[in-house]
Amino acid sequence: MKSDDTKVRNIGISAHIDSGKTTLTERILYYTKRIHAIHDVKGKDGVGATMDSMDLEKERGITIASAATYCEWKGYEVNIIDTPGHVDFTIEVERSLRVLDGAILVLCAVGGVQSQSITVDQQMKRYKVPCIAFINKCDRSGANPFRVIDQLKSKLGHNAVAMQVPIGLETEAEGVVDLVSMKAFYFDGESGENIRVEEIPQNLLAEAKSKREELVEAASLFSDELTEAILEERQVSEEMLYDALRKGTLKREITPVFMGSAYKNKGVQPMLDGVTYLLPCPSEVENVALDMDKNEEMVFLSNDSEKPIVALAFKLEDGQYGQLTYIRVYQGTVEKGSTIVNVRTGKKVKVGRVVRMHADQMEDVEQLPAGYIGALFGIECSSGDTFVSPGINLTMTSMYVPKPVISLAIVPKDNKAQMAMAKALNRFSKEDPTFKTYVDHETNETIIEGMGELHLDIYVERMKREYNAEVSTGNPRVAYRETITQRADFNYTHKKQTGGSGQFGRIAGYLEPVSDAEFVFENEIHGGSIPTQYIPACEKGFKQSMAKGPKLEFPITGVKVVINDGASHAVDSSDMAFQAAARGAFREAYLRAKPVIHEPIMKVVVETPPEFQGAVMGLLNQRRGMIIGSQDEGVMCVIESQVPLAEMFGFSTVLRSSTQGKAQFTMEFALYRQVPQSIAEKIALEVAQNKKSAA
Amino acid sequence: MLKKEINYRNPLVSLGYETEDILPDGGFGAVMAYAGVGKTALLVQMALNTMIREKNILHISLHDAVGKVDVWYHELFQNIAHTFSDGEVKEYWDKIQPYRFIMIFKVENFSVPKLEERLTELMEQNIFKPHTMIIDGFKFDEIGRKPLAHLKELAAKHAIRIWFTVHAHRHEERATNELPVWFLHVADLFEVIVELAAESKEVFIKAIKGKTADSSQKTLLLDPATMLVKNSK
Repeated sequence: MKSDDTKVRNIGISAHIDSGKTTLTERILYYTKRIHAIHDVKGKDGVGATMDSMDLEKERGITIASAATYCEWKGYEVNIIDTPGHVDFTIEVERSLRVLDGAILVLCAVGGVQSQSITVDQQMKRYKVPCIAFINKCDRSGANPFRVIDQLKSKLGHNAVAMQVPIGLETEAEGVVDLVSMKAFYFDGESGENIRVEEIPQNLLAEAKSKREELVEAASLFSDELTEAILEERQVSEEMLYDALRKGTLKREITPVFMGSAYKNKGVQPMLDGVTYLLPCPSEVENVALDMDKNEEMVFLSNDSEKPIVALAFKLEDGQYGQLTYIRVYQGTVEKGSTIVNVRTGKKVKVGRVVRMHADQMEDVEQLPAGYIGALFGIECSSGDTFVSPGINLTMTSMYVPKPVISLAIVPKDNKAQMAMAKALNRFSKEDPTFKTYVDHETNETIIEGMGELHLDIYVERMKREYNAEVSTGNPRVAYRETITQRADFNYTHKKQTGGSGQFGRIAGYLEPVSDAEFVFENEIHGGSIPTQYIPACEKGFKQSMAKGPKLEFPITGVKVVINDGASHAVDSSDMAFQAAARGAFREAYLRAKPVIHEPIMKVVVETPPEFQGAVMGLLNQRRGMIIGSQDEGVMCVIESQVPLAEMFGFSTVLRSSTQGKAQFTMEFALYRQVPQSIAEKIALEVAQNKKSAA
Repeated sequence: MLKKEINYRNPLVSLGYETEDILPDGGFGAVMAYAGVGKTALLVQMALNTMIREKNILHISLHDAVGKVDVWYHELFQNIAHTFSDGEVKEYWDKIQPYRFIMIFKVENFSVPKLEERLTELMEQNIFKPHTMIIDGFKFDEIGRKPLAHLKELAAKHAIRIWFTVHAHRHEERATNELPVWFLHVADLFEVIVELAAESKEVFIKAIKGKTADSSQKTLLLDPATMLVKNSK
C-alpha cells in the first residue's frame, strides 16, 4: 500500500442515467488489471458489470448503491466511487462527492448535457469538486463531441477545452488525437488494451493544430511560464501544459474534456492519464471539520497521517459478514486494533478488520492512512458519523439532507416477514438519510418515506430480495403540509378546577402567516400577566400543535404566534396547564386563520424528440404542470416544468406510450406550493374517508 | 398572503407612451444597443411588468439556456421587489411565474414556421397564449425581410406584440434616422424602436422611432448596477 499521498486520487464517476458510467468503470478496472474479463451491463453473459454488485442493479442495468473500489494506474492509486445516475438516489451522489477529491463527469456524445448532468454538476459545485469530462459513446450514430463541449460551456457554464480530437466518429471511431503530445492513439487488441501511438493522420492535422491552439490559449491563463513561452514563441512542453491545465482544473476554472467509447474500448486509458495528471491528490483539497468543544469552530484538517484520526463514515452496507462501514480518512491513520470514537454517540470502538473494497470483493489491509478510502468491519454507526482519536471532538460538516416528499404504507405478509422487514428498515434508514420510516399510531401501519416513487420501489424490492421480507404496499401518499393565510386572534382559558389538583392558564394573542420560517414564537407580554416561567411551556404547546393540523392532520408550517396577554393562578397554574392552554388557543384560532394545504412540487425535465414536444407538453399540462421552458436542441428537445408530485404517479408509463418510448424524464423536489381549492376539497374528502376506514 | 402589491410600471412608459403595452396588437418593437449595454435586462423588465399585470409573456432566446434566462428574471425581480421580505418575494414570484414561458432555439435552428408550429401547439392545447413575445438574439443582418413579414402576420393574427433585441455595432454606418443601414430593410415593420446608449458610466434610453409628442424631450437613465430605470432627464 502506498503512503505517498501525491500518488493517490479519490475520484467519483458522475453522469446522467445511461451515459455508460458503469461500463466506463468496468473498463478502468480491466485496464488497471483489477478484473480479468469484461462483463457488460445487461450483458448476454449474465454476469453483469463488476461494479453493479446488487442483483437488482444487474437486472435493471442501473447502479443504485455507490460501490467503492480502488485500482492502480502507472504508479498512482485510484480510489473510485461509482455513483448512481437517477435523481431519486442523489443522496448517494451527494455523499460520494463529499468524500471525493475529484470527479469524472461522463457525458453521452449523442445526448450531450442532459438534465441529470445538470443536477450532478450543481452538486459538484456545492462540494467544490474539480472535474474532468469524458464524452462517451463516440461510436454511436449522431455522436458529436464538439457539440457536447459547446453544451458544457453554454448549459453548465464550464470553461471546457478539448484534450483530444476523435479519429473518426460513429461506426468509424478508431481512436483519438492527443492534443498535448500531438500524437494519434489507436486502441488495438481484443479489448483495446494495446495502445498504438502514431503520427496524426493528415486529414486531421489542421483540426488538431487549431484545437491545440485553443487548448494552449485556455491553459495559458493559469501559468505565467506558459504565457511567456507563447509570447516568446518557444516550444510548449507537455509538462508545462499539464501543469497549467492542472492549476485551472483544481480551481474549477477549466474543464479538460476527453473522449472515446468505453463500450468499444476506445479512449479510456488516456482519460486515466488525465485523472492522474489533472485531478488533485488528497492534500491539495481543503477539508474542514467542526470543533464541538469550541462551539463548532471550523478546523482545517491537514491530511497528515501522524496526526489524530478524523474519518467520516459515508456509506454502510449489510454484507454476509455483518455491517461494512465505508470510511474516508481525512487525518491520521486508522489501523487494525486502534481505538476510535464515534463523535455522535461518544462510544469508543476498537477497529477490527480494515479492508479495501473492490465492488463486492474485498482485500484486508493493516491500515488506512489520511486521504484513503476503505471499509471497516463490525463498527456500529450511522451513515454520516465521524470517527476520531480519543481526546478530540471534531465532526465533519453535516451533509445537506433533503426532506422526504412521498410516503408509502407497507404491511408484512406474516410474522416472519415482519421480523425481516424490521431488520431491513433499520438497515436502510441507517444507510440512507433520505429514507425514513415510522409507525402511524392511528392506523398501526408502517410508513416508509423517501424522495420519489422509484426510490421507495427499490427499497421494497430490496426488502424482498435481501431480507426475504414479503410486504404489500398501499398507495403512495404525498407529504402535504398546511399553513394559514390570515391573522386570527385567540383568547383561551384552560380551566380544570373540579376536584384534585387544579389546572388553570389563560393565553391571548394572535396567529399570523409568516412566509420565511416554519414557526415563530413572540412573547409580547408586559406586566407579567403570564409569569415568565410559563412562557416556554406556552411555546411548547404551540409547537406541539404544529405537528398536526386540527382538521386535515398534515404538519403545519409558516405560522407566527404572538402572545400578548393571559392570566395565571397562584396554585393551579403549571407548565402542563399552559401547554394545554396553548394547544386550545391554537385550535381556537387556527380555523379562523383560513388554513390552506401546500403540496410538494417537483422539477420535471423531459427530453423528447421534437415531434413529441406538443404531446409531452400536453401531458405535463394535464397534470397541473407549469411549463417553465422548452429548449430546442435539434435532435432532442428539453422541456422543463414544475408539476405537483401527486400528479406524477405512473407518469413514466404514460410518457413511454405517448412518445413510442423515445422520451425520458428526471424529477426532483423543487418547492412547496398551495393546492388549488378544488384539489384541496378532494384531499379533505380522502382524509375523511381514510379516517373513517381506520376507525 | 401578500399584504401589498408590487406597483411596477413598464420602464418605457416614462418616455411618454400612453399605455403599458406600448405596442398595439400585432405591433413590433425593438431595443437596440451595442453588446453588453443591457438590451435583455430592459426587455426582461418589460416582461416582468407584463407578468405583474397578469398577462402572458413568451420569452424566446436564441442564445441563452432556460436556466440563464430564468436567472435574469429572478435577479431583476429581486431588484424590483427589494422592499419585500424574501418570503414575500418568493410568494409573489410563485404568483406571477405562470404568466411566463421560456422557449429556447439555437439561432441556426430558428425559423418562423417552426415558431408558428410551437405556438400553435401551445395555444391549441390551451397551455399558453402569449399577450407579448420577446425575441432575444434575432439576426436581422443575416435574415431577409420575408420571415419578419411572416412573423408580423402571425403577430397580427394572434394579436401578439413582439419585442426584439437588435445588436448594433460600433463602427457601422448609420442612416439619417439614426438606424443602422443593415436594419433599414425591415425598419418599416416596427412601430417602436428605442436605443440604449452607454455614455461614460451611465446608460441612457431614447426613442428613435414611434416617439410620442412628449417623448422627444425625454431620455431615461438606467442604473448600471441594478439595470432599473433611475430617473428621467
